[in-house]
Amino acid sequence: MSAGSRRARELARQQAEAVAKQQRQRRIALLSTLVVFVLLVGGGIAFQAWRTLREPSAPTTVDPSLTPLSIADGKPIVLGSADAPAKVTLYEDFHCPHCAEFEKKFGPLLTAAQHSGNAATELYPMSFIDSGSAAAANAMACAAEAGFGLAYYRGLFANSTLQWNDDQLVALAEQVTPAPSDAFRTCVTTRAHTSWVSSINATAEANGVNSTPTVFLNGTQLDLASLTPQTLQTMIDEAATR
Amino acid sequence: MTTTTASRSRLRTIAPWISTSARLVLAAVFLAAGTLKVIDPSGSVAAVRAYELAPAGWETLIGWGLPFVEIGLGLLLALGFHTRAVAIISAALLTLLIAAVISVAARGLSIDCGCFGGGGQVPPGETRYASEIIRDLGLLLLAGWLIWRPQSRLCLDRWNGESR
Repeated sequence: MSAGSRRARELARQQAEAVAKQQRQRRIALLSTLVVFVLLVGGGIAFQAWRTLREPSAPTTVDPSLTPLSIADGKPIVLGSADAPAKVTLYEDFHCPHCAEFEKKFGPLLTAAQHSGNAATELYPMSFIDSGSAAAANAMACAAEAGFGLAYYRGLFANSTLQWNDDQLVALAEQVTPAPSDAFRTCVTTRAHTSWVSSINATAEANGVNSTPTVFLNGTQLDLASLTPQTLQTMIDEAATR
Repeated sequence: MTTTTASRSRLRTIAPWISTSARLVLAAVFLAAGTLKVIDPSGSVAAVRAYELAPAGWETLIGWGLPFVEIGLGLLLALGFHTRAVAIISAALLTLLIAAVISVAARGLSIDCGCFGGGGQVPPGETRYASEIIRDLGLLLLAGWLIWRPQSRLCLDRWNGESR
């Protein structure tokens, strides 16, 4: 065998080896990408399951001592003194992400104004996103009746990614009030305020509200795009001094 | 003869850059769609439910999982890794989504596709099926181009020895 042909054969063998190596590497790369992809999606599903099914956490401390309210069909839940000069009307769904943002941005300010007696919130908890919205709206009415409505309201939005099954709704009450009564539990699990929940949806529709959050101050709708905590505070203060 | 050779060589220069743009546009759309839905898990499940297509247990799984599939595809497209395989999966996904919207329209439901978060029922006059389908067809076209010409600039496939 000549030296030339041996060298040629050696070269071909090296080339074939290089190609095989490259193919192997590509197969490994594709397979590892697939594994990472599956892990990402699986991990994502687990993450969402945790966000939706975990125990609720306590909202930032708010005084839960409010007088128990009575629930009447078509009538909002009033948080704060009924004769406060500024009436903030809120149409919200407990599963609406923009409502949770609104609450994060303006909630502390509104709570403070409720405590000082400058403002009261008229809450219309709509429920059009899913069954969790309706369950939360019902439990909100139960909490208002039991006298810890404001703290519960803050808790619902502080945990807005939760699914709101019965256990979570009761667990939230345990976070905001020392010992929720059996009446409250029953109210939540039997959906005692189902007719009120649907009456609120009907009232909102009758008032021309078809998106959440929709906010009125003493009857004037507020433009949420331009609203800042400062401008809302000014509006509430002006209403109080008038 | 010379003109076809010239235009062919011009295509050879431009095509990788068209592929790069197609990749980046698809990546941006997938990443935006995925992220906007990940924020709101219950809304995402409600959006899937509104299609009335998936069996009960699957609605949750799709609502939670699909946004991460979109993010995964978006990241791979942005990096330009396994472009052809990713483009095939993207095209399949887009076809499925177009079919779902057509089925919703045919059944006379009035929903928002929830493609970028939101979703669920809308008043009967406010559906936008035509524009949703046209947008998805446009994206499908980009995915189709990438299946045909996966070689692009600014991508990891070069390093992975996939394109010359």
